[in-house]
Amino acid sequence: MSDALLEVEGLTKEFPLRGGLFRRRKTLLAVDDVSFTVAPGEAFGLVGESGSGKSTTARCVIRLTEPTRGRIRFAGQDLLSLRGSRLRNMRRGIQMVFQDPYSSLNPRMRVEDIIAEGMIIHGMYRDAAKRRARVQELLQMVGLRPDHLTRRPANFSGGERQRIGIARALALEPRLLICDEPVASLDVSIQAQILNLFKDLQAELGLSIIYIAHDLATVRHLCDRIAVMRDGRIQEIGDREQIYTAPRSEYTRELIDAVPVPDPIRQRERQHRNAELRRARGAVEADPPALARTGKGEK
Amino acid sequence: MTADSVANANPLLDIRNLTLSFQTGSGLVRVLNGVDLSVGPGERVGIVGESGSGKSVTAQAVLGLVPAAEITGEINFAGVNLLKARPEQLRAIRGKEIGYIFQDPLSALDPVRTVGDQIAETLRIRGVGKAEAMRRAIDMLGRVGVRNPQQRARDYPHQFSGGMRQRVMIAMALVAEPRLLIADEPTTALDVRVQAQVLDLLLELAEERHLAVLFITHDLAILSGFTERVVVMYAGRVMEQCVTDELFYGSIHPYTMGLLASLPRIDGDIPQRLHTIGGQPPSPARPPSGCPFHPRCRYAQPTCAEQVPTLTIPPNGTHPSACHLSQWLAEQPGVLR
Repeated sequence: MSDALLEVEGLTKEFPLRGGLFRRRKTLLAVDDVSFTVAPGEAFGLVGESGSGKSTTARCVIRLTEPTRGRIRFAGQDLLSLRGSRLRNMRRGIQMVFQDPYSSLNPRMRVEDIIAEGMIIHGMYRDAAKRRARVQELLQMVGLRPDHLTRRPANFSGGERQRIGIARALALEPRLLICDEPVASLDVSIQAQILNLFKDLQAELGLSIIYIAHDLATVRHLCDRIAVMRDGRIQEIGDREQIYTAPRSEYTRELIDAVPVPDPIRQRERQHRNAELRRARGAVEADPPALARTGKGEK
Repeated sequence: MTADSVANANPLLDIRNLTLSFQTGSGLVRVLNGVDLSVGPGERVGIVGESGSGKSVTAQAVLGLVPAAEITGEINFAGVNLLKARPEQLRAIRGKEIGYIFQDPLSALDPVRTVGDQIAETLRIRGVGKAEAMRRAIDMLGRVGVRNPQQRARDYPHQFSGGMRQRVMIAMALVAEPRLLIADEPTTALDVRVQAQVLDLLLELAEERHLAVLFITHDLAILSGFTERVVVMYAGRVMEQCVTDELFYGSIHPYTMGLLASLPRIDGDIPQRLHTIGGQPPSPARPPSGCPFHPRCRYAQPTCAEQVPTLTIPPNGTHPSACHLSQWLAEQPGVLR
């Protein structure tokens, strides 16, 4: 697929685990041969439970984590072979929004400096007045008041901080935004506001989005295509309609069935049906699968 | 008491006009404002609310975990006002008659003691012999779905996954056979499949033991299949209170209606934009005048900024709601539904 903005092929990440002195060195296979593409302007969902490797996959794409193997092409360039200033330039095109709007903003910095920092590093808007105007424009774009420039993160609520985080990411005019559980720590009434903002930005700026979440309802709302991950592997990739109405993998079906619906009559039916299914297939072994996945080729 | 009319005539837990304030650097901050709430024997009641709504602090007040606060009102448990009770009376009730589980099981467990020990301790401090306490702890561990309980009782908390730890917490809370379980966001930290299992387990145990549950959550959807009644809190007040089905199918409070409409759904039509409630929940330090929800309310009238609405059943309604427009909303079938 040459028209894809991002192509990930055979992505693998192993983390070394501590072994004993005479024991064979073990590794944790966090991401195991993952391949997918993201088209320009597409919202792509990466869904999975904790330990599924969804965040590690995203961190490899932006090279916050170095992949062990695999190929990543962004806008036609091989991302993994880039070094130094060329890597920095390429990174400008991929920006990240983090889950926790409290720890991802420096509490000592003013909003203006938080948003402008990346622009300065990348030599954008060198003129201070123009840069300030751009920061104000960005604040407006994410639904904050442009005169809040001099405030610090502590003066903002969780939802507003997440908007600052989004403005910081947008400041570098990326083509791809990676959002790792961006609404998980927000109040219900604020989640909807942020989800709408992502949809608006996608439409207005033609942004591609990789949206990582465990919450299947928000993913369904935002994403055109979805990959379901488990134990470091992609279980299935499909478009939204297919994933939610006719999942190919039993695991996807289980995930969807486990989401409670805000409709008591239907929820009681679902619960009843699921409890029987669970009895039939036995309890989910809830212990983390990490240790079961150690060792080279002995999964 | 009108607000209690949908509840049990003889409640196990009966909170009346509970007001709770903290002294802070910038003066007295009131986090609960005249909360009325009751739970009948064997009844499952949900409190739903966003951050700052006072849902957790209500539970903590029942457990006596907010000693620094100024509290007025009554918290009656089985006829005893916990706010006036003597320390030894309280010790007999909390932990024995009222069990509790929290969101984060890892920080609630002692990392250097075996889980069997910790479950048994609840019984030991009430005079049960060592062997008998351990036997009952192991039984309970098996009952909450931990395999090989005999062996697992000798393991430490870090040897359990998140879902299994929450099961251990449930075992700890229920081993002394309390009449009321307070569960504060017990599944929020869990993966969705594990969450469904833990909810199944809680439902099963509650029904089997005629256990009353006060379930606190920010997630309305979780309550839909679990509770019999729901209390919606906002800014330290009860906004609406009714049987669970009525809340989802016939809410008459703009805040509840807005919350329900803003939930992304797992099936059905996908709207281009989700319905939103503008603004954000107020800070307890700077509450708005009148109805605390009025600055965000799409139906707000001039009176809403002046008068605090009381929690009452409108003439044509079936359940209490704290809104000046309750009567009008009750006459509009499916305003937002």
